[in-house]
Amino acid sequence: MHLVLQDLANGILAGGILAVVALGFSLVWGIMNIINLAHGAFVMLGAYLTYQLFASFHVDPFLSLPISFVVLFTAGYLLQRYLINWVVRAPILTTFLLTFGLSLLFVNIALIVWTGDQRGVTTAYAGANFTLAGVTIPWVKLYTLLAALVITGVMHLWLTRSKTGRAIRATSMDIGAAQLSGVRVAHIYSIVYGLGAGLAGVAGTLISMSYAINPNMGEPFLIKAFVVCVLGGLGSVQGALVGGLVYGIVEAFATQIDLYIGTQHISGSGLQDAIALAVLLIVLIVRPTGIMGKATA
Amino acid sequence: MTAPAAATPQTAASRPLVIDALSAGYADTQVLWNVSMRIDPGEIVALIGSNGAGKSSLLGAVSGVVSTWSGSVRYGERSLTGVEPDRIVSAGVVQVPQGRRLFGSLTVEDNLRMGAYLRNDREVESDLKRMLDLLPRLRERYDYLAGRLSGGEQQQVAIARALMARPQMLLIDEMSLGLAPVLVDQLIELLAQIHQTGVSILIVEQDVQTALEVSSRAYVLETGRVTLSGPSAQLLDDPLVKKAYLGV
Repeated sequence: MHLVLQDLANGILAGGILAVVALGFSLVWGIMNIINLAHGAFVMLGAYLTYQLFASFHVDPFLSLPISFVVLFTAGYLLQRYLINWVVRAPILTTFLLTFGLSLLFVNIALIVWTGDQRGVTTAYAGANFTLAGVTIPWVKLYTLLAALVITGVMHLWLTRSKTGRAIRATSMDIGAAQLSGVRVAHIYSIVYGLGAGLAGVAGTLISMSYAINPNMGEPFLIKAFVVCVLGGLGSVQGALVGGLVYGIVEAFATQIDLYIGTQHISGSGLQDAIALAVLLIVLIVRPTGIMGKATA
Repeated sequence: MTAPAAATPQTAASRPLVIDALSAGYADTQVLWNVSMRIDPGEIVALIGSNGAGKSSLLGAVSGVVSTWSGSVRYGERSLTGVEPDRIVSAGVVQVPQGRRLFGSLTVEDNLRMGAYLRNDREVESDLKRMLDLLPRLRERYDYLAGRLSGGEQQQVAIARALMARPQMLLIDEMSLGLAPVLVDQLIELLAQIHQTGVSILIVEQDVQTALEVSSRAYVLETGRVTLSGPSAQLLDDPLVKKAYLGV
């Protein structure tokens, strides 16, 4: 029984981070119809930024959260304003290609700057954990989950209550009407892409505390963000949160699977992506709009 | 109904909107040819014409969402030609688009607040209250999603959203489209109230009879060109207008 609880806990702890990764990806996709293939690279850059601040200046990774956000937000804003906005109305393949190119660029810059070696952010409290009802929980993962919940909560409030958040939602519904209300769409789009990058950066900081850092680390997170978005429903904060947690839990249980095909042993850890994607397929068959998604009018 | 003066505190329009030899279009399709029009401060002017004549494109060009090829749009001393739409809104020229174009998944309140997007003054809250005094129906619907409202209610929200920008010049595109005559009458009365506060109005209408009755002057647009203009009362009696638009 406690093995099940342990898997559940692991899944929730990992799912919180996935929710933050997916949230930024979901906003960019849902609001601008850009499938941002550079999203994983932003996660990676956030992780390296955290690593560098930790290694050079002993900045605690939790203190790096706002720094990652501001740096990546700024980079994302400028990229959208002066590059992606030029092709944002073009067919989706154009932005697909452009963001893929950006991703390659960032990954290779990281390779030059930090080499391909694995890096880690090992704080004094990295190994500490506690046991509750037979379930072992590392403090770091608990704190990153709490940080993830706070971040999604703040994003939700900001999008629903703030003037700019309202303008973002309005623009996603009707660009023309938003313009006629005085919204400068290029600016709003840049904010949205900045938010996407900023959230990816923050997720990278959270990830850096429990996972190894290397230039290609973003790619699996990009794929997971894609799945979580489709699971949860596009462009919604609740969708990213629920999708992230569901994905994390499914993945955690998938690692426990042991399969024997003939004499060949297949462990769950090798299959977790396959199983998670199979769950995605099933969800989409049952609920094509995603778990939290609404049918579009 | 609340007294109009209290309903919409506007700075009375003091500038004419002058459209001079305007040509405009989309991509490589020209829609407007050499259109010249003028709306003086405090006037209600009607723009009439059949489907596809370019009426909405003309409003789009004035609002900066349709690109101008040649000619100019000026509001008083200020050129609006090729200016970003947000600058045109802040200059006081605000459009109520055809089909209402509300933000369907936002509440009525949020739609009205979107109208005040460019404003940073402290009177937004009191203006919201005035809108609800002016349009009591919206008070009951304040927290509803705009997409859930009836057509007449949506048109009220669309007009109120534009008023929240404190326009001096209101461009209203096909206000009556798809609405029952009794609702149209109510909206016409609303326009009269807005007009009394000093706002100039350009109405674009397929309902030519109504348009000519509420306006002082009118322009007829045919395939992108102004073919006729003059006092509305005169156009109502014009045999060509009668034949083409009034079905008499």
